[in-house]
Amino acid sequence: MRISTSTLYDVNAANLNQQQTLMFQTQQQIATGRRMLTPADDPAAAARALEVSQVDASNTQYINNLSAASSTLSLSDSTLQSVVTLLQNAHTKAINAVNPTLSNADRAALATDLQSSLDELVGLANSTDSNGNYLYSGFQGGITPFGQTAAGIQYLGDDGQRKVQGNASIQLSTSDSGADIFMRIKNGNGTFVTQTGASNSGSGIITQGVVNNPALLNSDQYQLKFNVSGGITTYDITDTTTGTALSAGNAYVNGQQITFNGMQFNIQGAPSDGDVFTIAPSTNVSIFQTLSNLISALRTPLIQGNIASTTQLNAALGAAQNGLMQGLDNVLTTRAALGSRMNTADSLTSTANSLGLQYKQTLSQLQEVDYNAAISELAKQSTTLQAAQKSFLQVQNLSIFNYL
Amino acid sequence: MGTDLFGISISGMNSAQIGLATTEHNIANANTPGFSRQQIVVSSSPGQYTGAGFIGQGSNVTTVKRIYDQFLASQTVAAQGQAAQLNTYSSQIQQINNMLADPNAGLAPALQDFFGAVNGAANSPESQPARQTLLSSAQTLSVRFQTLNQQLVSINNGVNGQITASVGNINSYAQQIAALNQNIASATSTGQPPNDLMDQRDQLITQLNQEITASVVKQSDGSYFVSVGNGQLLVAGSQAYSLQTVQSLNDPTKLEVAAGNGTSIVRLKSSSLQGGNLGGLLAFRSQSLDPAQNSLGLVALGLAGTFNAQHQLGQDLRGAPGGNLFTEAAPVVNSNSANIGNAVIGASIANTGQLTGSDYTLTYNAAGYTLQRLSDNTTVFSNLATLPATPVDGLSLNLVSGTPNAGDIYTIRPTVNGARDFAVAITDTAKIALAAPVRTNTALTNTGTGKIGAATVNAPPPTAANLRNNVTIQFTDATHYTVTDNSTLPAPTVLAASTPYDPNAGATLSFNGWTAKLSAAPNPGDTFTVGPNTSASTDNSNALLLAGLQTRSTLLGGTSSYQGVYGQLVSQIGNKTRELNVTSTAQNTIVQQAVQAQQAVSGVNLDEEAANLLRYQQAYQAAGKAMQIASTLFNTLLSIGG
Repeated sequence: MRISTSTLYDVNAANLNQQQTLMFQTQQQIATGRRMLTPADDPAAAARALEVSQVDASNTQYINNLSAASSTLSLSDSTLQSVVTLLQNAHTKAINAVNPTLSNADRAALATDLQSSLDELVGLANSTDSNGNYLYSGFQGGITPFGQTAAGIQYLGDDGQRKVQGNASIQLSTSDSGADIFMRIKNGNGTFVTQTGASNSGSGIITQGVVNNPALLNSDQYQLKFNVSGGITTYDITDTTTGTALSAGNAYVNGQQITFNGMQFNIQGAPSDGDVFTIAPSTNVSIFQTLSNLISALRTPLIQGNIASTTQLNAALGAAQNGLMQGLDNVLTTRAALGSRMNTADSLTSTANSLGLQYKQTLSQLQEVDYNAAISELAKQSTTLQAAQKSFLQVQNLSIFNYL
Repeated sequence: MGTDLFGISISGMNSAQIGLATTEHNIANANTPGFSRQQIVVSSSPGQYTGAGFIGQGSNVTTVKRIYDQFLASQTVAAQGQAAQLNTYSSQIQQINNMLADPNAGLAPALQDFFGAVNGAANSPESQPARQTLLSSAQTLSVRFQTLNQQLVSINNGVNGQITASVGNINSYAQQIAALNQNIASATSTGQPPNDLMDQRDQLITQLNQEITASVVKQSDGSYFVSVGNGQLLVAGSQAYSLQTVQSLNDPTKLEVAAGNGTSIVRLKSSSLQGGNLGGLLAFRSQSLDPAQNSLGLVALGLAGTFNAQHQLGQDLRGAPGGNLFTEAAPVVNSNSANIGNAVIGASIANTGQLTGSDYTLTYNAAGYTLQRLSDNTTVFSNLATLPATPVDGLSLNLVSGTPNAGDIYTIRPTVNGARDFAVAITDTAKIALAAPVRTNTALTNTGTGKIGAATVNAPPPTAANLRNNVTIQFTDATHYTVTDNSTLPAPTVLAASTPYDPNAGATLSFNGWTAKLSAAPNPGDTFTVGPNTSASTDNSNALLLAGLQTRSTLLGGTSSYQGVYGQLVSQIGNKTRELNVTSTAQNTIVQQAVQAQQAVSGVNLDEEAANLLRYQQAYQAAGKAMQIASTLFNTLLSIGG
């Protein structure tokens, strides 16, 4: 085959050019540390890198969200821890108050003590987070959730729960409604509440009672009315909701279980003629109301020798102890839920952290240059280029004209 | 007898001289592009009859021919034209490829920052700094969209400029070819081939093919007949016809190629103009640039549309319903400038999630309207008497005014301006709607375990007018509830009277444009309320939904996220660039081989010419020697005579 002289030069120039381009590309890869200089270098990997970097960014975002959630949750948790301690102390005081040796003045002192606990409790319930938002006001972070009104301390917030995105599919609640923690506390045993009549004159005290057959329960209210005639104490049971008498003239035995319509309780002491006890479905009584009731009961002086006033005090103390226990249970339940959310946040964070490492590794595999390979490639290319340059010089030196 | 010894010697010297001249011509043109080496064709002069037979009369140069292989030459021309198209396309698309390559300047980081800010605002919805960060990063995102779009627009402007330059080159080559045709025709009539003129003309054909594929037909008089596209005549004999650039009928931002001048122009279909720079430019524009701009627009429009839709379902810091956070681009409808009817066609986006990112052609003829989707050449609807009332591909079309005339054409580009017109619509941080407009509440007096979940606002916007009315859900007994709208007091509206309820299954309630779930077992008399979410400064319900849009597949009929559509764009451009790099490298190798093959025949080899120089020199010297001998012979005769 003939080789035209210009072909000799053209082909060599093209080859050198091509080798230089390849070498430049390798050098660029090494200089930038990126395997893909443009999407064209590896279109599939470029698109994949976009996806992975978005997932990675979202993942980092989730970690930030979770850390914000954790800090709010632990703030709430420590607030509720204080609430628990406070309620436990109040409960102890309510038990101490039963001590018959206490004087009116002693009880008044306890009442004063409990009043400051109540104020402290309102303060805790109105806690704010680092941004000045109330912890327990639902969606209305700027509204003081618990305020004194004519009807006692009322909840002014709402049931909204603030959430954060914990990962692609899980939203984590970071707040709890104040109503759930402080307001929605069932009185009585949680199903029904027994009450000693306010104008009873005997010493009869009714226990909280238990549900012994849930199937028979209904939501009617009942009244037990005592008759004492000729030293024999009997009682009648009336359904006050429907106005029908269930039974009449039941013989009363101190401390004996009274059972009807799935409910079981007993009455201890000696009720007087005309004393009444009521049974009604449980309703929500706020922890503030319970404490207020306890305080006002303690502030009511006992009248010496008046059995009725002692009965009323004991009934009130019993209700208060029960209410405080229920309230404590309620707060502890909330705390448990909160604790499990904190655990979730922790485990999501550690999952997200290890995922983040994986994403970074994937990204680095997709995008970053393998220096060993790239440098040895560069060495190879530079050797080839040098060889091409030297051989071209030799070839182009050959010409008959050199000998003419 | 009388053999002309001197004549024979002179003929040999002449032949050698012409040989030397031709060799020197070859050496001089060793590097001239398009030059084919030339050779003398020498034949022996017919012998003179004598009794001793025919005695040769020397040599004579009959012609100088160029060593030219038509087949190899046209192969080279075709390969080079193809390579020019690929190289042009490749270097153009490289611009988009580089633009998308920059990890800091691409769309992805801005998109991620924006959604990071949305999440930040979700974490502290009441925080002014967090809201300001959201607005600022939205601003950054819009600037990024606009910058990327602007780069595509300037690439389009560059393409227009290069089309003009290419058409200029084509016209100039056509004129030169026409002039050479004339010279060659008159030179050929002398009987000898005008080798160098022919080389020049072939070189011009090569150059013309690097601009556009041209077909050449050789005429009997040696002139070339050159046409481009679908037979558009460029050169006929000594006559050159010029091309020109004109504004596209369908899109004023684009230049097209047309033949003719003045008013009688013929627009050449872009698809018919293949090969060369011009072919590369046109292919790049229609296959890569327009789709890239549409894709980018689709991301922007999709983001604006879906984000706005969710934003409108929320409530801002002042308790007002959310508005638009971003401005949304309107589809572009270009009425073909050759349309006769006065119809104004309107297009609006009905559902961003259904948009395809393609352009459309709406044609009207006697049978009605036909819509063609250009990305896959599919007929969306055909021959409808009126434009359809229901949206097609997320697009609502309507006849705004006037009447179309049969044959009228409209080009509809739904997303082309998506990125250009993407802007932040609000500046007041309080107007960012991060809260839900309604909230549910459980009455404190409830004794049952019944729960009501958070209310969600029914999509799509606009929200119902009575959305924020106070609604009470009251259980008349454990298995029946009544829903009452109390905002119409003193005459409350009963939305649902005594509806059965299963405590085990719960119930999903949907009234006044909201939806909420009831669960567990309420007691008779238990009440739940749904009402306006007033002073809800720390409610982030809507913010979470907004943040969730980042990864939700909301676009392309619910198959792709924003990032997904952008990823497709990157992958398409990346793949196309790679494909072009590979094919153009391959094509360049083909060109190299074709040129080598062609040069192997027609190229000048200096060593060969050096040998020829020696050969002709020696032939000349030998002929000279022969003349000297003839002279000696003559002197011998003279001396005899003397």
